[in-house]
Amino acid sequence: MDCKLAVSLMHDYLDDDLAKEQNMMLKAHLQSCADCHMRFKELEQTEMALYSLPRHIPTASKELTERILNTLPKHKEPQIWVKWMKRHPAATAAALFLVVMLLSVINVFNQDSQLVVQGNNLDQIVIEGNTVIVPEGNVVSGDLTIENGKAEIFGDVEGNLTVIDGSLYTASTAQISGQVKSVDQALDWIWFKLSNVFSEIAYR
Amino acid sequence: MDQIEKRLTKLALKGDQQAFAEIVGLYKDKIYHLGYRMLNNRHEAEDIVQETFLRVFKSMDRYDPNQKFSTWIYRIATNLCIDRLRKRKPVYSLDADMNDQEGLDGYSLIPSDDRTPESELMISETKQLIYDAIESLPVKYKSVMILRYLQDMSLQEISDVLGMPVTTIKTRVHRGREFLRKKLETKF
Ligand SMILES: [Zn+2]
Repeated sequence: MDCKLAVSLMHDYLDDDLAKEQNMMLKAHLQSCADCHMRFKELEQTEMALYSLPRHIPTASKELTERILNTLPKHKEPQIWVKWMKRHPAATAAALFLVVMLLSVINVFNQDSQLVVQGNNLDQIVIEGNTVIVPEGNVVSGDLTIENGKAEIFGDVEGNLTVIDGSLYTASTAQISGQVKSVDQALDWIWFKLSNVFSEIAYR
Repeated sequence: MDQIEKRLTKLALKGDQQAFAEIVGLYKDKIYHLGYRMLNNRHEAEDIVQETFLRVFKSMDRYDPNQKFSTWIYRIATNLCIDRLRKRKPVYSLDADMNDQEGLDGYSLIPSDDRTPESELMISETKQLIYDAIESLPVKYKSVMILRYLQDMSLQEISDVLGMPVTTIKTRVHRGREFLRKKLETKF
């Protein structure tokens, strides 16, 4: 066995990940090679030193929990029109009919929607049809915004990722350092319209 | 532990503040420790804890219950730390020195009740050497070594947290270990 392989086996041994056979081979090498023997000792000592470090010290300050809980956004009260919907099922059904109508209108609006991609270094992305791909290993520095398309992220986005009126797939290799937001303009618009309709009826 | 976590997460998902407070109680020290070792600065470590829980709270609805909760929260916290390290790189060591005098002498590493002359001595010699060696590691090795040795994670768990293959994590542990060995070799 050459020393390079021996060193690699030493690490596997410390990872507790060495088969019996290899274990014997390593032992044999250590007995005949002074350099590796020395190195193995040092590695073992390093490992022991690392394991001797205290684990959960120091602790955070006592007020921290309180501070965390105070900064959380307050739990939202159910909106007034939700309560109203529960009390007026018939009107709710009528409103749902309205939603269906609105949806078909929006569909007509959306038919010619074009793919829009905004970002800094777009040479890092691949566009196939209306699918925008950040391949594994590629890095988009800064924010990336995709409108009317599918986003498939395998690589890194060093900023916020926003998908408007589209779908988003992030692979396990993806690293997105900023916030990820999916915005559905049509839906937002419906909610806006609906709550207006409801509050008008509700306050009458 | 896992059962408790599952129940708490479910409650917190529904917006139960009390359940969320308990999650904070379970994890804040672990995340603080991670942040402190990664950034070598108390204030920034507290910021990390706060930011982590805020993110957790805001994205509760995106949590996949098939994933371990601890993996998820560690992923958020580790990424926040790595981001900070990358951002402050140019003024890094100067910054750490000026902001965090007490973290450097090592005395503050043990709770005041346990402070005896012997334990202070022990900390200030061998252990401080190791902490300094870890501190000097490049970011990608540093995060792996801290998760492995100070948070007691298995290679598989680290791979889940960082979203990288186990083979990559292994290589980084090996290189990190060699790096530390070289730093410490004269001291043994
Ligand atoms: Zn050898």
